[in-house]
Amino acid sequence: MISFQPTEEEIEFTSVAEKIAKEKIRPAAHVSENERKIDAAIIDEIAELGFLSLELPEDWDGLELPLISQVQIMSALSSGDLGIVQGLPGLGDVASFIRKKPEQAVSKLEQAEHDAWSTAAFLDITNRDAPWANQLVVNTRADGYVLHGVSQPVRLACFADYILVAARDADGVPVVLWLDEPAVWRVKEGDVRLGLLASGVGRLSFDQAFVGKDQVLASGEKAADWIANARTRIYVLQAAKEVGLMQAALEYTTAYTAERKAFGQEIAKFQGVSFRVAKMAIETRIANHLVWRAAVKADRMDDDAQKWAMQALYRAHRSVRYVTDSAVQMLGGHGYVQEYPVEKWMRDAQAQTMLYGREQMLLNQYGEQILIGAKEGATP
Amino acid sequence: MIDFELSDQQRQIKEMTHWFAENEIRPIAMKADQMEKVPDDWLEKVNQMGIHLNTSSFGGSGEAKDGKNKKEREGNRLGVLATEEMAWGDPAITLSLPGAGLGGPPVQSSGTPEQKERFLSIFTTDKPRWGAYALTEPEAGSDASAVQTTARKVDGGYVLNGQKIFITNGARASWVVVFATVDPSLGRSGQRAFVVEKGTPGFSAPKVVKKMGLRANETAELVFEDCFVPQENLLGGEAMYETSGSKPSGFRVAMKTFDSTRPIVAAMAIGIARAAYEYTLDIVQKEYPHHGKFFHIATEMLAEAEQDIAAARLLTWEAAWKADCGKENAKEAAMCKAYAGEMALDVCAKCLELLGPVGLDGHIVEKLYRDVKVFDIFEGTNEVQHLVTARRQYAPYGIRV
Repeated sequence: MISFQPTEEEIEFTSVAEKIAKEKIRPAAHVSENERKIDAAIIDEIAELGFLSLELPEDWDGLELPLISQVQIMSALSSGDLGIVQGLPGLGDVASFIRKKPEQAVSKLEQAEHDAWSTAAFLDITNRDAPWANQLVVNTRADGYVLHGVSQPVRLACFADYILVAARDADGVPVVLWLDEPAVWRVKEGDVRLGLLASGVGRLSFDQAFVGKDQVLASGEKAADWIANARTRIYVLQAAKEVGLMQAALEYTTAYTAERKAFGQEIAKFQGVSFRVAKMAIETRIANHLVWRAAVKADRMDDDAQKWAMQALYRAHRSVRYVTDSAVQMLGGHGYVQEYPVEKWMRDAQAQTMLYGREQMLLNQYGEQILIGAKEGATP
Repeated sequence: MIDFELSDQQRQIKEMTHWFAENEIRPIAMKADQMEKVPDDWLEKVNQMGIHLNTSSFGGSGEAKDGKNKKEREGNRLGVLATEEMAWGDPAITLSLPGAGLGGPPVQSSGTPEQKERFLSIFTTDKPRWGAYALTEPEAGSDASAVQTTARKVDGGYVLNGQKIFITNGARASWVVVFATVDPSLGRSGQRAFVVEKGTPGFSAPKVVKKMGLRANETAELVFEDCFVPQENLLGGEAMYETSGSKPSGFRVAMKTFDSTRPIVAAMAIGIARAAYEYTLDIVQKEYPHHGKFFHIATEMLAEAEQDIAAARLLTWEAAWKADCGKENAKEAAMCKAYAGEMALDVCAKCLELLGPVGLDGHIVEKLYRDVKVFDIFEGTNEVQHLVTARRQYAPYGIRV
């Protein structure tokens, strides 16, 4: 039955998340950005509430919540500050791999399972046709693989204790590798200034790094399925965070324009302003609903869950750029300066969309699936 | 629980209406557009089948068959699901289907029990009948509060004078809900809603207009010249206006109507967009190469179109869901109408672009493009929907925009 009514439990979780977003996360946003790390007290509080382990399975002491519940909580948390949420320690995107882990991978992940404070980065180098893909290659050896080169910037790279690599080897066979020895890689922090500065974005550098067979979590068709499943969940969760950022920008802009006066009246009374705010509200609602639908589809393990996830992330990217840009525009000069939060939100939004899939690529892949079917259509 | 699956009843209605749209409506769509009318024998036939356009409810009102357990009300959701399918078949024919049409919601929501019985029970299978809704005037379109048609109180009723334009099914309707003012100086609070029956002396429909699209559907101009309307045709009765004191009751009837009809209109726009999209997708799959620039352009345009349609549908479902739950839905109704109307034209234009010059010659998409433009205008223009959305958005801050 068509319904937009969250469960009682979801309402409770979300309300706690909203409270911490407003009272703890938002006020710490600029300090975290300047220091490029998050205050330990905030991390403790968020961890204590279980918000760092929503996606993890119960056998990993996680809450193992359905995606539809998680997306509501992640949106609420991200309405505090996306930069902080993206820099929180833990397994991050890798949690979605753990959630759907195949049997043979369990023993290999044991160490991370018992290391409650570990942080993992996810390195996705499956698309060998992507620009700069040849800067990091995975070569096959009889006894394992060798990684050589430098990755593109990835989130949590600077804080990572572990790295999960989704790749294709020289023969194009999908593999999932688990790097649990930090000596294997070096982090190049580079010169990141745009946004998500507290999220540990960096490049991972490998110098003929050997990855033994015991670190191969999956290969071939199993790896391909695992990556596709995890990627679906990652897309939905990342899109949900973008919805949270949109909600923050919408609410802040509404409040600001309701008070700010020009030409003798509140600027909200000018239709150029109020109509733009209405469009922000519509875009935010659309992105939210597409995320909800994708989450429900993924929870039900629908065959086309990946398609819905792709669609949700594409729209979230497009909408978050529009809504955060509109926020800066509506605040005028104030929007451009750092005394107000909106310029940071616009920067964070742009950085987020760059880290998680190019919009046109998502649209293209989705379109190919429509036109020639999921199997023949190119995968990311 | 958040859910996007259809209930059994919703699925049944959707499948049934789609079957009807595909097998009965679509085959005559182009012909009806050319004739600028829906064939009378076709209307007779569907009326005998009991197919009506009723935008006020679509069953599912909540009482279980055993009379014990109250089921969740789902009439508004059924309404938007069914209307999307019908409009997918053809919007002009859908709007011409017999039934209370847009006149249904005000009678349903504000009529007395006697009025509901009298006006809504006439839609029987013996012959096709229509209801209509007349708010727009030459000088009062988007500003519905500026209605100039007057209603002068006289013994036993009111005398109406004025003109209404762009009235769907206005000339053929058995009755029309007409908005008029008892005193223009009172603004909104002076407005009243009347049900004016066909044949009432002083009531005429002198002109049917020619339009860009929706050509098969009748759009009439109505004139009221010293038209006496008996008191029992004042919608809701005198009591409703007395109890509401100085509150703008007639205006509220008009606005309340929009809360249930805007999601329906949005659903129709979605149906049109989907029709254009599916038609074009089929052609692109057959005629386009599977590589190269044309293929690349098609993947992006179709993906964007499919997603925009889905987005509009979710907004519309939410507005209908809220109405079913008895929750305030004016903002959601405006949001879905604003988005769906604009989106649908954009999707039709994209589809025409994909068809290229071939699309000019005998393809339904160009007709859908002409039809859909008005969905961003009637039942409140896109700009009015933004205004309503903005007003609701700013309401918590005490600012009226």
